Parts: sequence; C-alpha cells; structure tokens
Amino acid sequence: MSAPRNLLAIRHLSQGQVEELLDLGREMKSRVLSGTNSLPDLSHLVVGMLFFENSTRTRVSFEQAANYLKMKCANFTQAGSSMDKGETLKDTILTLRYERLNGLVMRHRLSGAPYLAARYFAGPVLNAGDGQHEHPTQALGDALTILERLGTLSGLRVAIVGDVLHSRVARSNAWLFSKMGSEVRFVGPRTLMPSHTSMLPGDTYFDLAAGIEDADVIICLRLQKERMGSAYMSSVGEYAKLYQINRETLRYAGKDCVVMHPGPLNRGIELDDSSADGERSLITDQVENGVFVRMAGLYWAFGGAPFAKRKQSERAHASEKAKPKRKAKVRT
Amino acid sequence: MSTLLKNGRILDPSQDLDVVGSLLIDNDQVRGYGPDVKADNVDEVYDCTGLWIAPGLVDPHVHLCEPGFEHNETIVSGTQAAAAGGFTTICMMPDTNPALDNPALIDFILDRAASPEAGGVFVAPVGALTRGMDGQELSDLAALKRAGIVAASDEGSPTQDSWVMMKAMEFCVQLDLPILAHCDDVAMSRGGAMNDGAVSAMLGLKGIARSAEEIAVARCGILAMHTGCQLHLLRISTWGAVELVRQFKHLGAAITCEVTPPHFILTDEAVDEFDPLCKVSPPLRTQVDIDIVLQALQDGTIDCIASDHSPHASHEVEAPFDEAPFGIVGLETVVGLTLTHLTHKGVLTPLQTVDKLSTAPARILRLDAGTLRPGDTPVAQVTVIDPNMDWVFDVNKTFSKSKNTPFHGSKLRGKPVLTFCGSEIYRDALFDSQRYATVM
Repeated sequence: MSAPRNLLAIRHLSQGQVEELLDLGREMKSRVLSGTNSLPDLSHLVVGMLFFENSTRTRVSFEQAANYLKMKCANFTQAGSSMDKGETLKDTILTLRYERLNGLVMRHRLSGAPYLAARYFAGPVLNAGDGQHEHPTQALGDALTILERLGTLSGLRVAIVGDVLHSRVARSNAWLFSKMGSEVRFVGPRTLMPSHTSMLPGDTYFDLAAGIEDADVIICLRLQKERMGSAYMSSVGEYAKLYQINRETLRYAGKDCVVMHPGPLNRGIELDDSSADGERSLITDQVENGVFVRMAGLYWAFGGAPFAKRKQSERAHASEKAKPKRKAKVRT
Repeated sequence: MSTLLKNGRILDPSQDLDVVGSLLIDNDQVRGYGPDVKADNVDEVYDCTGLWIAPGLVDPHVHLCEPGFEHNETIVSGTQAAAAGGFTTICMMPDTNPALDNPALIDFILDRAASPEAGGVFVAPVGALTRGMDGQELSDLAALKRAGIVAASDEGSPTQDSWVMMKAMEFCVQLDLPILAHCDDVAMSRGGAMNDGAVSAMLGLKGIARSAEEIAVARCGILAMHTGCQLHLLRISTWGAVELVRQFKHLGAAITCEVTPPHFILTDEAVDEFDPLCKVSPPLRTQVDIDIVLQALQDGTIDCIASDHSPHASHEVEAPFDEAPFGIVGLETVVGLTLTHLTHKGVLTPLQTVDKLSTAPARILRLDAGTLRPGDTPVAQVTVIDPNMDWVFDVNKTFSKSKNTPFHGSKLRGKPVLTFCGSEIYRDALFDSQRYATVM
C-alpha cells in the first residue's frame, strides 16, 4: 500500500501513473469478467458520493465500481442537504471529514471545486467531473477502450470534436493521450474554442475535414443545446452542418478510425446513427470500461499497490514497449 | 513634543529633493529639514542613518467597507493598517452599503476616521458617481463636494451607459472634481473569474478578456478628451490599456492611471490550483502585460501605485474559485512589494518610488499631502522607510481584519518603520529597539 492520494486531474499525473491506473483497470476488468473472487476487498472503507450536479451515468458507474470493491457509499445530493440551508462547501466538506468518511467522489458544476474539497478533507478526493475543467475517470475509461481496440495509446492521431471551450472531457482526454505519446487535435467552431490554447496539449482546427484528416480516434463532445441559438452558435442545424460525424465526414478520417462519445448523445447532432451504432463506434465499450477504471481509481486513490506484474507481452500499452501502429505524422 | 529624524536620506519629489540630512517635527509640524538642520533640546531622536525620510504616503484606492461590510474591514481597522503601511492619507472608495452618495455618510466617514481609536491617518472620501451606484442617475455631487469628497467614482459598479458617463464628466468639470473610473465592460466580463488566456483555458474557468478593460479605457478616455474632465483610471492591468493611456496623454486629455502591486508582480499562472487568493479585478494578466506596465511606470505613463486594498473575510474567500470574491488586501504590503520588485530591481529610483507612492497621487487628487514643505500640509505627514530591511510578510500579524492576500510568507526587502501624521501614528517593532533614543 502507498499513501492515499487524490485523483483530481489527468494534468497532474505522470505517464507512469496513467499507465499504472490503466493496468489496474485492465486487471479489474479481467477479474470481474472471470467471476473469480479475487477482487480487492475494501469493505472497511466508506466513500462519500458527492454529486452537486446531476449525473446518472458517472454516479452509477462509481457506485458500481465501489460495489465490486465491497466499499460502502454514503450518498449526498445538494437538494435537501444542509447546503440548501446555506452551508458553505467548506463546512460541508469538514462535516463529512469529521463524520469519518474515508474518501470522496465529487461532481460539481464549478471548475476546481474538488481542489477546495481536497484542501479541507483528510483522505483521497476523486474528481467525478468539475465544471469545464477535467473529468479524469472518463478519460481513463476512454483510454482503456482505445487500448483494447487499437493495442496502443502512442502514435495515434486523436481528434476531439465539438464544444472544446466548455468541455471537461476534452481537457482530460487531451492530457491523457498527449502524455501517452499521441497527437491531439481540437476541432470545433472558433466561438466554442478557448481563445488561447498554448497551455493545452493539442493543436486547434476549425475545419472538420482538416481536423480529422487521417485520425485514428474521433472523440465527439456533447453539445449543450442551451448554448445554441446564441452568440456561440446560431443553431443546432448550423453546428451539425459543420461538425457532425457521419458517413460522409468520416471519409476524411483514417480507414480504421474509431468513434467515441462520452454521452449522453444528441443523436443526429454530434453523430448520425450510422456512426453512433456502426462498427467503428466504441460508445458502449466506453460505458463498460468506465466502471473498471473507476474501480482502479478508487483502489489507487486509497493507496492500493499495483497488482503483481503480468508478463511483458501483455503490457502492450506501456508506450516504450508498444509498437506504434504508425508514427505520428508531421503536420504540414 | 519634538522629534528629530536624524541623518536620513530625505526624498521629496515635490521639490525634486534627494539629500542626506535631518528633519525636525515640532508640535505636529515639520519645522525644517536638510543637511543643516540641527536641534537641541528635542524630546526624542531617531537615528535614520540609511533610511528614507519621505512625505507621508498616499493611497488613492482603498476599500474600508464601512458602513455595510464591517465583517471585512472597518474604518478603525483599515486606518490602522494604513498607518502600519506607511500611509498618512488614503482615499476611501464609495462602494459601501449604503454607497457614499449622500453628505451625511461623508460626515459619518470623516467622524469615524477622526475617532481616537482609528489609525490617525487622513481619510479622503470618494463619492459615488451615481445614486446608489446604479449607473443611471447622478448623485448630489455638489453637496457631496461640500461635505468633503475629493473625487467621484463608479468603483465596483462600472458605469455602462456612455451617455450617463458623459453627463457625469460634464458636471464634474463644472465642479472641478476628478472622476476615478473603474474600467470594465460588464457585458464582456460578466461571469468571468480570471484572465482570459492560456491558463483559464487549461483550468476551464471563464475568462475575462482584456478587451473588456480596454474598451472601457478607450471609452472613458474619449469622453474625458471631449469633456475636459480630469479622469483617473483605477488599476489598469493590460498592455493595451497602457498604450491607450499613452495615446490619450499624447492627445492632451487630463488622464492619469494607477497600477497595483499584484498586477506588476503576479501573472495568471498564480491561479493554478484554483487559489482564490489570486482572484482580483481586473484579473492577473501575463508577463507581456507586466513588461509593459514596468516600462510605463518608468516612463511616467502610469502615474502612481495603489493598494486597491479590498478586504474579504475568510468565509467569503474559502469558496470555489468562481464563487470567491474579487480582491486582495494591500495596505500593509505596498511598500515592501514596491521596493522589492521595482526599486531594488532598478525599475524605479528611490525618488520615483516616493513619487508614485506619495507625491503623484496627492497631485492627482489635489490633496494637501505628498510634500515635506511646511505649510503645504495641515500637519506633518512623514514616513520613514528602511529600504533594506529584510522581512517576511506574515498575514497573521497585520492590522487589517481580513487576510486575503497571496503574499503571505513572501520575503520582502524594504518596510515603513515610522509614520507621522501630526504625531507619531506607527512605529515598527524591529526599528524600535535599534534606533530609538529619548533625549530628555
């Protein structure tokens, strides 16, 4: 066991830590699927599930991960809580600390809120999505999915398409894939792209065809329909016309390009049915793997050591050992 | 009571004076200063060898929070902090609750500032430009001026309606009253929490574009140019704003501006890890901006340095970044930060330093301050600064009620050690033991 640690952002992780988490995720998956009772037993731990923003998918996924590890969950929602009576976030966190919760999983509508929690809580804090900042376990699940399908995370060309400005999924995935040695491209309208991207690990494209050219992976971002019909973008139709991933536009991508989406989908907007349900779609795999990487995240955050080393040949994703599918192309 | 400040470096930008000598304060007035001043039979002598003897410092931009926000600061605690920071005159911003839009409130402020438990500094109230700071209807500025305001301002609620601003300027020309403008285009900055740049993109925080500040600077400058109003821009932060001010000065507008220490020291990278202590308006910008700001301090485009002392109680600050208030306390760090980051780095000479901290703001706001010349100030206003004192800023040892500053633990060089506003109002503990001598 090592010391407990937070999982706040992929940005803070080393390549080695990302690999360790993905290794753990793969191992969790194989142990769950094999049905043998060889999963870590964390039944002595109680983790607070703090969802200050509505979430079904991530919440259930974390709860399921905790179930597999036999952890107990203390559920918390803002509605009906003392925060509705005016309690500050700091005091809520202190309360949970002295109620002796062992760790927190936190979703919040404001960027950086889990950092505040980490300052006042004694024990690991896992970010389950904060504002427009990061969603680390989503990126880990996406990475595990790619690893299973393509066998590597290095040397890939990954295009992240949509509302990059407001997307925590975009940021976490960009950090993860760039740390693992892939080329990241942000693709979207100028109005939904940060005005300065020099500290984000990717290049910016406003043109879909150029942005996804020869891509190995396309990650579509969920479009917030509330933002359409504003200065950001005139309409959903205008967006779809420019950025929808469909049979037509997929021709620009690489021959074996896979398509991902963090959900929930707006069918017919970000993606058409053929690309959402087709052979190239990994959307359901993403959901499934989300549970296993969240098991890995919980286990890792509570100081769990890596499982016994598996054979080198199975560690295909360790980038130094991996055989790149092909070299990263030089952009022109 | 007589005090001799002996053998210091006398720095008075109002007369371009930089000379080693002594200064005598007798019966709350400066009686003489220079190389030849000698005094027998004085009550106390301070050995000021190696220290600066300067006109009392003037802060053009302070929030004292009373009435309405006494949990953050009061006139008593804020003036005590000012005295400890080397200030003898501070301009109080009108964004209290109620706002300073009524002569009775000005009386209240002046009364509180004169109370014996207060810090002993002069408080120069700034009136609200519009009633209730609503940006629509002018306050009774003539009555406020008679009550004692030194300027009018929209600080905290920047006037968005350009027509209202123009009319305010026209009337202030008639009243011969400077306007202190908060430059922010609110439609652009609303909801923003930090500089719109590479760091905000990385942190996923909504940015405040530099355009929001520059559009407002341009608008205020244009209106000042056409109305002839004396305009002082509160804490500007971008290189573009600096260049606009340079142009307006070139065009002959009566325009001045200030900058605060956080804006010439820190960049938006300080916000990494979502530190709410680095949340300030305008936001911390980038190194490019700092480079131009330093140059503008040197060449005089930026006229003076202000604390923009903005106290917030810890329960307000300890919140997610988006929900934390804007502002940093500054009265007790301005001198240390300015000397450490400007004077000792060769950006400003000692005489320029004192100008930016005393003579220039006094001139802009037409205060009886910023000079050692007897008769030009109602009572002696003198600050002694040890330019080479090395100290570590400890926010837990400050007079301000609030502790919201990112500079806790900073190693600084240079500290005010004695402040006189009439009588002695502050003496630094470290200075005391080494240099103080009672003669009689």
